[in-house]
Amino acid sequence: MFFENVKLALKAMKGNKMRTILSLLGIIIGVASVITILNLGNSATGSITSSISSSGYNILYLSPGSGSRNTDTFNELFGQTLTENFEEIDTVMPTVSSSTRIRQGNEITSCQIMGVETDYGNNMDCELEYGSWFDYTDNIFKRQVVVLGSEIAESLFPACDAVGNYVSIFRNQSKRYLVVGVLAEKDSTLSTSYNTSIFIPYNTFAQRFQNVSSVGTYVITVAEGYDPVKVTDKLTEYLDNLVGSDNYSLMSSASLAEMASSITGTLSSFLAAIGGISLLVGGIGIMNIMLVSVAERTKEIGIRKALGAPPRIIKGQFLTEAITLTLTGGILGIGLGIGISRIVTGMAGWTFSVSLSACILSVAFSMAIGVFFGLYPAAKAAKMDPIESLNYE
Amino acid sequence: MTPLIYMQDICRYYVVGDSIVKALDGVSMKVYKKEFVAIMGPSGSGKSTMMNLIGCLDTPTSGKILIDGDDTQGMDETRLAYIRNRRIGFVFQQFNLLGKISALENVITPMLYTGGISSSERRERAEHALERVGLKERMKHLPNELSGGQKQRVAIARALVTRPSIILADEPTGALDTKTSDQIMELFNELNEEGNTIAIVTHNEEIGNSCRRQIRIRDGKLEEPDVL
Ligand SMILES: Nc1ncnc2c1ncn2[C@@H]1O[C@H](COP(=O)(O)OP(=O)(O)OP(=O)(O)O)[C@@H](O)[C@H]1O
Ligand SMILES: [Mg+2]
Repeated sequence: MFFENVKLALKAMKGNKMRTILSLLGIIIGVASVITILNLGNSATGSITSSISSSGYNILYLSPGSGSRNTDTFNELFGQTLTENFEEIDTVMPTVSSSTRIRQGNEITSCQIMGVETDYGNNMDCELEYGSWFDYTDNIFKRQVVVLGSEIAESLFPACDAVGNYVSIFRNQSKRYLVVGVLAEKDSTLSTSYNTSIFIPYNTFAQRFQNVSSVGTYVITVAEGYDPVKVTDKLTEYLDNLVGSDNYSLMSSASLAEMASSITGTLSSFLAAIGGISLLVGGIGIMNIMLVSVAERTKEIGIRKALGAPPRIIKGQFLTEAITLTLTGGILGIGLGIGISRIVTGMAGWTFSVSLSACILSVAFSMAIGVFFGLYPAAKAAKMDPIESLNYE
Repeated sequence: MTPLIYMQDICRYYVVGDSIVKALDGVSMKVYKKEFVAIMGPSGSGKSTMMNLIGCLDTPTSGKILIDGDDTQGMDETRLAYIRNRRIGFVFQQFNLLGKISALENVITPMLYTGGISSSERRERAEHALERVGLKERMKHLPNELSGGQKQRVAIARALVTRPSIILADEPTGALDTKTSDQIMELFNELNEEGNTIAIVTHNEEIGNSCRRQIRIRDGKLEEPDVL
């Protein structure tokens, strides 16, 4: 009987294609937006968490502005001030950076150059493919040594090992630097794309490469057991008092992630509201079309009753029809939603992922809508008087 | 022998505005197994009302109806539907076939409501019924691809297929020309000879008189009251 009802429902839908599509529009849009939200939420969260894990959740970046007052505050010793004042802060590494060009033989490439302290490599979990990071003496004696990012090493030394060779780095005039290490491939972080950067000792940078009046960025690692977000808040308060909120910027992947997730959260609830409203409107549309269908088929109902269909079966027939209708809408909506989220993730550069639970939920939900909004018309059909409906023209 | 249909003091009143229309006013009668009854009378005399009551499509204002010994009084829609499905086969003036499905599917439809009949048996029985009315070759056709006489044959097959206790036909030839009417009546006669109980409503004296028994009705009353 159920199978016959589904067949009947499909027949009725096919007979009225345009009407079916129009009445399903609400459900299709509703389901599509819910699917899009959930898929995008999935993809966005995936992208954010992967960027957090690659950039280190416990790392904060403090960049001074270019005010004159800053020059006094943000010097090399400022790091010490911070570690002394905050037990939450493990290390503070001053870094400076600039862009430059680097040459080896006939190969020239532009890159980001960073002056960093010896501990930087270790603290930022930089693995070396070849050689080693420069040591303390290199920094103290301002030696001209360099660690290359993987892409830079590859383009300058495609055939041979870079370590032990010299490269020329341009700054007004070119200077020769000894390559001491080559980084393994490493995902970019908020501030640094490792593969296209080169690293020289902080002091070398400050004296030989470019005269630095103040530190470029302090890379701060939060001590284990402390919440980076809370530390960020505390540090913000401290810095606001010290130099004013306009004179520095403090970034952390943790706070960025929090911001991003709160934005996606707001966006999701907004879209979910739209989805919910269109599902409601869609459901009412279904109820409307089912009432029309019941009225149109009064005669059919009368005939079926005369042939001995009990009210329960008439009800079942129209309920099945409503569910088949909304289920079709749900499936079309899922298709549309997946299409939209695929396009959006493609444009945003996120990894595309389909939330299976969202699909299952949508199918279940659209069926539930069919039941809920189909019940009244179906009950109405079941209650019709046999003779009246039989004599209906 | 228990009568197939037993009606006792049946009244069916309609309230129209302030007045009461007495469509049936104290009708008592019996129909036995294998009878072929014609219900006759002028327009508005209550023939259709009586058929609808016998067929359990309608319930009387007062009085008692027994179908095959079962008192229908106080039955709910579900039980009335059950009686219609198992005991009654309807044939209507306007055929009342379902327009979007084939002749075969139309004949299968009442068996869907019977339950416990496998789909292969449903099909087999439907084909057999269509064969009986001489329409086996047309079974895949939609109703609107059939002539009036053919439609009525499909309707008769549909009434037959559930092996009802009684076939009720309300002016089955009312929408057909004379020749086709004769063929349909011929078919009813054959079916009656095969053991089916049949009651038909007709205006036509000739058709009515061709039946074995006539029940005449006027203004909601039988002209010759049946002796219960
Ligand atoms: N639903 C209804 N409401 C009010 N009056 C009705 C209703 N159905 C039938 N009647 C009245 O009951 C009376 C009997 O009607 P019925 O349909 O049984 O007549 P009939 O003998 O079948 O007539 P015909 O030969 O024209 O079909 C008529 O006067 C009719 O107007
Ligand atoms: Mg009539």
